[in-house]
Amino acid sequence: MKAVFITFNQANTERVEYMLDRLNIRGFTFWENVQGRGTHDGEPRRGTHTWPEMNSAVITVVNDEQVDDLLKAIRRLDNRNKEVGVRAFVWNVEQTV
Amino acid sequence: MSIYKSAILKPITTLLIFVAVIIMGVFSLSRLPIDQFPKMDPPYISVMTTYSGANASEIETNITKILENSLNSVDGLKELTSTSKDNISLVSLEFEWGINIDEAANDVRNAVDLIADYLPDGAGKPTIFKLNTSMMPIMGYAITAKESYPGLDKIIDDKVVNVLNRVNGIGNISLSGAPERYIYVDLNPQQLDAYMLSVEAVGQAIATNNLNLASGSIKMGKEQYQVRVEGEYVESSEINDIVVTTLPTGQQVFVRDIATVRDTIKDLTLDEKINGSDGARLMIMKQSGANTTQIARDVRKTLESVRKTLPPDIKIEPIFDSSEEIENSIFGLAETIAYALLFVVMVVLFFLGKWRATLIIALTIPISLVVAFIYLLMANSSLNIISLASLTVAIGMVVDDAIVVLENINRHIDRGASPREAAIYATNEVWVSVIATTLVIIAVFVPLTMLKGMAGIMFKELGWIVTIVVCTSTTVAITLTPMLSAQLLKAQKFGQNKDEKKRKLSYESTVVRMLDKVDAAYANLLRICLNHKIITMLVMLGIFILSMVPVGMGKIGMSYMPQSDNGRLNITVELQRGTRVEESMKTARAIEDMIRREVPELIIISSTTDSNDNGGIQALFSSTNNNKLSMTLRCVKKYERERTIWQIAEVIRQNINQMPEVINSTVAQGGGGGGAGGNDISVEVYGYSFDHTNTVAAELKRRIKEIEGARDVNISREDDRAELQIVFDKQKLALHNLNEATVATMIRNRINGYTAGYLKEDGEEYYIVVRLAEEHRNSISNLEELTIPSATGMLKLKELAEIKEYWGPPSIERKRRERLVKLAVTPYNVPLSVLAQNIQAEIDNMEIPQGVMVYVGGAWEDQQEATADMATLFLLIILLVYIVMASQFESFAKPFIIMMSIPFAISGVVVALLLTGVELNLIGMLGIILLAGIVVKNGIVLVDYINLMRDRGYELNEAIALSGQSRLRPVLMTAMTTILGMIPMALSTSEGSEIWVPMGVVVIGGLVASTLITLIVVPVLYSIFSRSGERNKEAKLRQTFVFFDNPDDDTNITTSEL
Repeated sequence: MKAVFITFNQANTERVEYMLDRLNIRGFTFWENVQGRGTHDGEPRRGTHTWPEMNSAVITVVNDEQVDDLLKAIRRLDNRNKEVGVRAFVWNVEQTV
Repeated sequence: MSIYKSAILKPITTLLIFVAVIIMGVFSLSRLPIDQFPKMDPPYISVMTTYSGANASEIETNITKILENSLNSVDGLKELTSTSKDNISLVSLEFEWGINIDEAANDVRNAVDLIADYLPDGAGKPTIFKLNTSMMPIMGYAITAKESYPGLDKIIDDKVVNVLNRVNGIGNISLSGAPERYIYVDLNPQQLDAYMLSVEAVGQAIATNNLNLASGSIKMGKEQYQVRVEGEYVESSEINDIVVTTLPTGQQVFVRDIATVRDTIKDLTLDEKINGSDGARLMIMKQSGANTTQIARDVRKTLESVRKTLPPDIKIEPIFDSSEEIENSIFGLAETIAYALLFVVMVVLFFLGKWRATLIIALTIPISLVVAFIYLLMANSSLNIISLASLTVAIGMVVDDAIVVLENINRHIDRGASPREAAIYATNEVWVSVIATTLVIIAVFVPLTMLKGMAGIMFKELGWIVTIVVCTSTTVAITLTPMLSAQLLKAQKFGQNKDEKKRKLSYESTVVRMLDKVDAAYANLLRICLNHKIITMLVMLGIFILSMVPVGMGKIGMSYMPQSDNGRLNITVELQRGTRVEESMKTARAIEDMIRREVPELIIISSTTDSNDNGGIQALFSSTNNNKLSMTLRCVKKYERERTIWQIAEVIRQNINQMPEVINSTVAQGGGGGGAGGNDISVEVYGYSFDHTNTVAAELKRRIKEIEGARDVNISREDDRAELQIVFDKQKLALHNLNEATVATMIRNRINGYTAGYLKEDGEEYYIVVRLAEEHRNSISNLEELTIPSATGMLKLKELAEIKEYWGPPSIERKRRERLVKLAVTPYNVPLSVLAQNIQAEIDNMEIPQGVMVYVGGAWEDQQEATADMATLFLLIILLVYIVMASQFESFAKPFIIMMSIPFAISGVVVALLLTGVELNLIGMLGIILLAGIVVKNGIVLVDYINLMRDRGYELNEAIALSGQSRLRPVLMTAMTTILGMIPMALSTSEGSEIWVPMGVVVIGGLVASTLITLIVVPVLYSIFSRSGERNKEAKLRQTFVFFDNPDDDTNITTSEL
C-alpha cells in the first residue's frame, strides 16, 4: 500500500478526479484551496491579490501496482501545460484500520 | 458557495433570472412616458393684489413693500421680485428648484394672512397662485379661414374645442384671435342732441325691450298654464325698430333714426394673421404631469377626424408641437445609443478577436441598460434627455467589468483549462478587483444624486442611472459572464494547435501581430521615458501649461444651458407709445413681407397685434398694448436648412432695426420645452431715484449696444405712457348737480360702450354694445364735445372739465426689496461669459451716481452659481475617489499618482473645446466631473498591475515597462469603448442635440488626452515616487528581522532551524 499525495492547480480539479476514476481508484481525501509554491520554478499559489491562483490537494492510498499508472497519468497531465502544474509524492503506508 | 460558482453550476437559473430582468425592463420601457426633461415643478409663486385707483408708486408703498417685508422670511426663498403698476401689485417669489411647492404656497399664504390687516382698506384680498407647467401650451395650431372667418369663433368652439376637450389629459384650450360676434349700435351724437337723448337712454330702451320673463301661472278649467313674456330679440335687425322715445309731437324716435346697428365681429383690438391671412390661434395646455407625447398623438388623431366636419375653407396648421421636439430628440438619443452599442461591440471584437467572447460581453450592455428602465418606472420618471444621455454615458462603462472577467477566463482556457473550471477559478481571481473599480465609478456618480436645486433635478437621474447600471453590469460580469463563458467558450485543443493556426489572414496573424508590435513599442517608449524622468515630466508640464493658455486668454466660452435649434422664433416689436392698432398692423404686414423675402426656410408666420382685452389667463402674462406686435415663426427642420435659427434671427434682427418706426425689438428663439431657462444676460440697475436709474440704464444701453455680439438690448422699465386725462372742475359739477363718478361712467359709456344686454342665438350670447360711432370719438375735440345729460339740461364735457395730454408713470419693478431697471441682452455668436465680462468692463468704466448699484445677472448669474456648485461637486468627487483608491491600494501616495491624469484630462477638454468651438455649459461641466471618474480607471488598471509585478519581485523599471506592455490593451480597450460610445453623442445633429453635444466633446477630448498622457505620466511618476519609499521598506524589514544577519548566534543554531 502506498499513499500518493497529489497537489495541483485548481484548474486541474476535474481532470484529477477523472484520472482517479479511470484508474479505478475509489478512495481519496481531498483538500480544496490549499496554498503552495514550487521548489524550483513553480509560481506561488497564494490566493492573494499578487498571486491569485490556488491549489487543491488529494491524498489517495493505492495498491503498489497502481502507483506507476497513476504517476504516468499525472506526468501526462503535467506535460499538458507546465503552467497549470500538478505534482505527486509517494510514500509507504505502514498500517491501516 | 460563492455567487459566481452558483451561477456557473446553475446555468438555467442564472439565465432565467436575467431573462426575467429583461422582460421586466422591456415591460417598464413600454410603460414609460416620453418627455423632454425629468419632471420638475417650476418653483414660482405670485401674489397679486389689486387696489383700484392707486398709481404705481402708491401701490409700491402701500401694498408691495408690506407684502415684500412679510414674504421675505418664507422658507426656501431664492429671489423676491415685484411689479407695481396702476391698480395692481404683483409680487413674485422664486424658490429653490426641487422644493415642495405646495408647502411653499402654504407658507406664502400664512405670510400674507399675517399682514392682511395692514393693507389699505380699499385693497382686494391678495391672490396667491402657483405657476404651473400646465399653463404652458404644449401645442399650438393656426386656424385660417376665408368665407367662414366671421363665424370662426363659434365653429371652432363647437367642432374643435369641444371635441378636443374629450382627449384625456388636456388641461385647457385657448383660442385667441378668433373674431367674436358683437352687435354694435353706433350712435350719431348730433341726432341724439337733436332729440335730447342720451346714450344711456338708448341703451336702456334696447335692454328693456329684450326680455323673457315667467309671469306666474293661470288655472283655466281643468288645466294650468304658465304665462311667459317672450320679448327677446331673435335677430339683430329687430333692434332697429325699437322706439327710444316719443316726442311731445307724438312722433316716435326709432333706433334706426339715430343709430346704425351693425351685427358684426368685434372691433379690432386684436389682429391675428397667419401667413398674412385672417386666422386664429389655438393653444392646447396639458394637465400637470400628463404625458405630452400621448396627448399630442391623440390631439393629432382627433383633429384629423374633426377636419372632415369643418367647412372646406378652414385650414388647421400646426404652429408648434412640443411633442414633436421631444420625440425627435428622444429618437435622436436612442439612435446615438444604438450607434454607441455598435461601436463598443466592434472595439471588443477587434481586441478579443472571438465572436463568442464578443457576444458574451455585448450581452451585458442590454441587460444593464434595461435595468435603468425598471428604475425609471419605479421612480415615476420618464424617458427624457437626461435619462437617455445617462445611458449613453454608461454604455461604454458597462462592458469594462465583463471584459476583465472574460479576459481572465480566456487566459485560463488558453492554458488548457476546461471552460467551466476556467470560469470558476478565473472569476474567483478577479471578482474583488472588479467590484473595487466599480466602487470608483459609484464614488463619482452617487454624489450627483445628492445635488439640490436645478442641477439636482437635471443630474439626480443621471447619478442614479449610472450607479444602478454600473452595479448591474458588475453583477452580470461575475454571474452571467462566467456562466456564459462556461457554456459557450470552446476548450483549446492543447498541444497541437500552435502551428495549425498560421493561416495568412487569420486574426492571429494580422491584428494580434499588430497589437503585439504596439505593445512592444509602448514598452520601449516607457523604458526611454523612465531613463529620462526629469525631461519627460518637464515636457508633460509644458504640455499642460500650454493647453491652459486658451483658458487664460478667455478663448473658452462659457454658457449656462444650451439652446436648442427647434426652428421657432418669437419676435416682439415695440412701436412708438400710443401708436394706434391700425398703424401697428401696417408695420406687422411690412415685417411679415420682409421675413417672407429674407427667410425662404419659413413655413408659417402667425402674428398678433395687441392682445385681446378679455383673452383669459394668457393675457395676464403677456402685456401687449396697441404698440406691440408679437410674431411666431416656424421654419423647416434644422437638418433641412443651411442656416441655424440664430443666423436667421440675426438677419431678421438687422432688417427690423432698419425700420424707423420700431423702438425696441427682440428676436428670440422660441421656447416651449419649459424649464431650461434662457441664455441671456440681465443687467440690473438698482436705485430708488427713477431719474438716476433711468439715466444709467440709458447710458448702459448705448454702451452695451456697441459691444460685439450684444443683441436685443432692451430696458425693462416701460416708458411713460401717453394718456388723456380728464380733469373735472368740481364746482361746475356741483352746480349742475353732477358728481365725478356719474360723469366718468357716462364718458365710459360713450367711448367704450354701454352694454345693453345680449342677443341670444343657439344658446350663445352676443353682446349688444351701444356707443358713439367711431368718427365721433377719435379726437380731443370730439371728447370735448361729448354731451353730458344733467338735471339742468344737456351739457358739453368741455364745460365741466379740461382734457390734458399726460404721461402716466411707469410700472415699478423691484427685486430684493429694491427698485431696479433691467437691461436684457442676448448674446449672438459670442459666449455668455465673454459678453458678461465685456459688459462688466463697460460698467466699471462708467460713472455710477450715488445710491445706484449695477449688477450683472440673468443666466450669467445662474451660470456662475452652477459653476460654483460644480466646482464643489468636483472636489467632493475627487475626495471620494481618492478614498476609494487609497483603501484599494492601501497607500496614501499611489492615488495621487493616478490622479495626475485628471489635469491632463482637463487639457484635453480645453483643446477639444477649442477645436470644435463648442461652448462649455452646465452639461459640459458635468462631463468634466464624469471624466474624473472615468480617467482614473485607466490609472488604476496600470498602477494595480505595476504593484503586482513589484510584489512578484521584478525590478522597478522593468516591472513598470512589463506592466505597461501587458496592460496597454485593457487600458486602450476600456478607453476606446467609452470614447467610441460617446462619438455618436458628440456628432449628433438631431433636434435637441445641442444639449448633449458638449458632454460628448468634453468626455472624448478629456479621455483621449488623458489616456495618451496617463500611459506615460503615471508610470514615470510611479517610478519617481517609489524610488525612495521602496528602498526604505526593504531596509526597514531588515531592521525588524535582525536575527537573520546576526553572525553571533550562528554557532548555536543549525541551518535547518533558520
